[in-house]
Amino acid sequence: MSARREFIGALLSGAALAPWSQLSLAGQARGNEPRLALIVLRGGLDGLTAVPLPRDEQFVAARGALAQLPSPALPLDGPYALHPALAEMHTLYGRGELLVVHATGLPYRERSHFDAQQLLESGGARPHELTSGWLGRALAANGRKGMALQTAVPLVLRGPGDIDTWAPSVLPEPSVDLVARVERMYGSDPMLAQALARARALRSDSAMAEAAPMVGGAGAGAPRAQAIALARRAGDFLSAADGPQAAVLELGGWDSHANQAQPQGALTNNLKLLDSMVASLRDALQGQHDTWSRTVVLVVTEFGREVAVNGTQGTDHGTGGAAFVLGGAVRGGRVLADWPGLAPRDRFEGRDLRITTDLRALFKSVLHDHLRVARSALDGTVLPGTSALKTLDLLRA
Amino acid sequence: MATATVQAAIAAHRFGLGEPDLAAIGSDPQGWLLQQIGPADAQRGDALPTAADGLRRHDAYLRALRQRNTVAAGEAMADAKPFEQRFAEHFRELVQADQTARLTTAATTARPFAERLALFWANHFTVSSVKGAARGLVGAFEREAVRPFIAGPFEQLLTASTQHATMLRYLDNALSAGPNSRFVTRLARQQAEGVTPRISGLNENLAREVLELHTLGVDGGYTQADVTAFAAVLTGWRAPRLPRGDEASFFDAAWHEPGVKTVLGKRYREGPQALGEVLHDLCVHPSTARFIATKLARHFVADEPPAPLVDRLARTFRDSAGHLPALYTELVKAPEAWQPETAKLKTPEEFVISTARMLRGGDSMFTRGRDAGIGALGQPVQRAPSPAGWPDRAEEWLGPDAVWKRLEWATRVGERAGRQVDARALAASALGPRLSDSSARQIERATDGPQALTLLLMAPEFQRR
Repeated sequence: MSARREFIGALLSGAALAPWSQLSLAGQARGNEPRLALIVLRGGLDGLTAVPLPRDEQFVAARGALAQLPSPALPLDGPYALHPALAEMHTLYGRGELLVVHATGLPYRERSHFDAQQLLESGGARPHELTSGWLGRALAANGRKGMALQTAVPLVLRGPGDIDTWAPSVLPEPSVDLVARVERMYGSDPMLAQALARARALRSDSAMAEAAPMVGGAGAGAPRAQAIALARRAGDFLSAADGPQAAVLELGGWDSHANQAQPQGALTNNLKLLDSMVASLRDALQGQHDTWSRTVVLVVTEFGREVAVNGTQGTDHGTGGAAFVLGGAVRGGRVLADWPGLAPRDRFEGRDLRITTDLRALFKSVLHDHLRVARSALDGTVLPGTSALKTLDLLRA
Repeated sequence: MATATVQAAIAAHRFGLGEPDLAAIGSDPQGWLLQQIGPADAQRGDALPTAADGLRRHDAYLRALRQRNTVAAGEAMADAKPFEQRFAEHFRELVQADQTARLTTAATTARPFAERLALFWANHFTVSSVKGAARGLVGAFEREAVRPFIAGPFEQLLTASTQHATMLRYLDNALSAGPNSRFVTRLARQQAEGVTPRISGLNENLAREVLELHTLGVDGGYTQADVTAFAAVLTGWRAPRLPRGDEASFFDAAWHEPGVKTVLGKRYREGPQALGEVLHDLCVHPSTARFIATKLARHFVADEPPAPLVDRLARTFRDSAGHLPALYTELVKAPEAWQPETAKLKTPEEFVISTARMLRGGDSMFTRGRDAGIGALGQPVQRAPSPAGWPDRAEEWLGPDAVWKRLEWATRVGERAGRQVDARALAASALGPRLSDSSARQIERATDGPQALTLLLMAPEFQRR
């Protein structure tokens, strides 16, 4: 109990946790240690928006207006494309440094953010079966440090080993999405509702999205510039000689229940932000000792979204979705997908993109082939119950 | 009457400071409250400063200032810090110790109803470190004048407050002297030699506020003449920077106004006993019964408290000669206090403390002098802006910026703690049947743990009590 209290205290105390502040960012990188960055997209990225199939009849039929993008999708191999907001990532694809994985997901079918994120991070087969994180356990098996670019240690990094966190510390601006949810909650409380509505009117949405140079963690709706700066910071940390073997970033606000195709809407903006974060991370890693060449970046979310459009020009919680594997160490320029099809009869429960690639196979392949976690540890403590999962061929030879 | 679980939720939130799990309250919520009635817990903390300690700190400051001024006369001031900054640094240690003691006690006490009463009375008898003369002395006031006396006669509490060094300094009685006292007479002789005396007579501040804010209320039936006469009664009650031994405040006959004084139509002989007599008579005044009954009902039940409840509390006050446990019992047993609707908005301090309790954070949010953002939310701890204390009506706390700040604060707590807790389960265990379907649905649909916790903290059921 007391350890937990201390922990929460550190969380709430307002002190910036900056254990790396004495770290020399300019230090000589040690040999050719591999590096991993994990970007967790919270809220359920719509894989069919990020990686659409513009000429697929079923896609066009199911998505209707949502299939109409503001500018043409960026072509990938086969029927696939990238959302036009992902221009930097498309460049990486062209250079053979981005691998797109589609129709992927977790061994979980219930569509709850909480439980799905618990599995995404714990690496278990059932929610709350495991209480630490797959990456935390893997780093402990390697005897290496991990780092979270936020104040709290996310579940995925929790485990027996050393985890550090770094985040600037000033009160964060609530995201537009959060404010909307609080407003819905105040439907029956006119006093609170009115005060909040006035407060919101006093701060234009553009002001909220403006970059404050030093604002809290890159959680849901954190200002753009800060999220991009955190990605650069992650690259700096990973490039350091005594830096972490893995760093975790997160980006929230993907729960696109309404109006998700708007050119200036939350989903489009979030895709642009992800693209900028990836570019920022790449620039930082390329700038120092060419860390980029020995880095894998994993971009994952807890679930995809329903194939059909809902009643508010958005999509509800679904099952299969998209993930990205990128970096100098990746054999990219490919789409990895055992495409299940989008016809209603091909969907999971008639509604969702079916999962044909277990996301844990992705984790397992990166941990084994890139971070060189021993097979025994992988099948034992790191991703228990996955010995039957085949690893995927993700890396350059 | 509401069901037992609804009652438990009301007991925990309306009368207490929130609990992470309503099950802890048991099957008899009224009994849970009634058995807490008694003096407040000793505040947490080692060697917390007494009023005498605080005064010695003031003395040290003035000595240092004098020395610095002497030195500075000859050379350029090396230390060019503004006065207020130097003053704040000098007292910081005491101020932080007091604040930490107050907040950690509230965050961890097993008797949250008693703690709420202690906080209520500390606000009723406001002293504030906004005033330099009270700096470093606010916590001592809570510990020495309020907390031991919250469950006895109101008269005892009123007397302890009025005679305490912090109150005497905060409301300027320490500067008030009888115009015909020996002390003022002596100073007047010096004036004849060309020296302007520091003190020449009454300061009515404490007398007025005792009548207006502590006992009768502004419309309680006193006149300016009563204020002046009462101020004369109060002369001689001093709290200078050199305590007499460990006595931070004392009666000094040399400062006392001689002669008989008439307050509210009654005559009081000169001397230290007069203060006690006036305070006793104020306590049995019907205006005081009504004023205290109204404030208590407003604090616990509704911004505009139900008249029948105020009537019953006022009658209880009169019938029991201001025996506070009788009032608390009447309040706890009042049907008006158990209406399921949440009428009251939490103050920022209550909001933050109840968050700490719900997250089982123990005292860790408040270590090392931190206020966990209470000040940023608009209620700097132990720094009330006026002797009237912090307001007790929602409209005072519901400015858009205030609500926005609560949202920012809740966002931060969500980001920092939202992955360690299951906000859905916490909402159910802490709010029980009071959790509305609408709030439960928003928390359930949150995109992640941090957002869910933020929504729980911002839910009307958690913002209100």
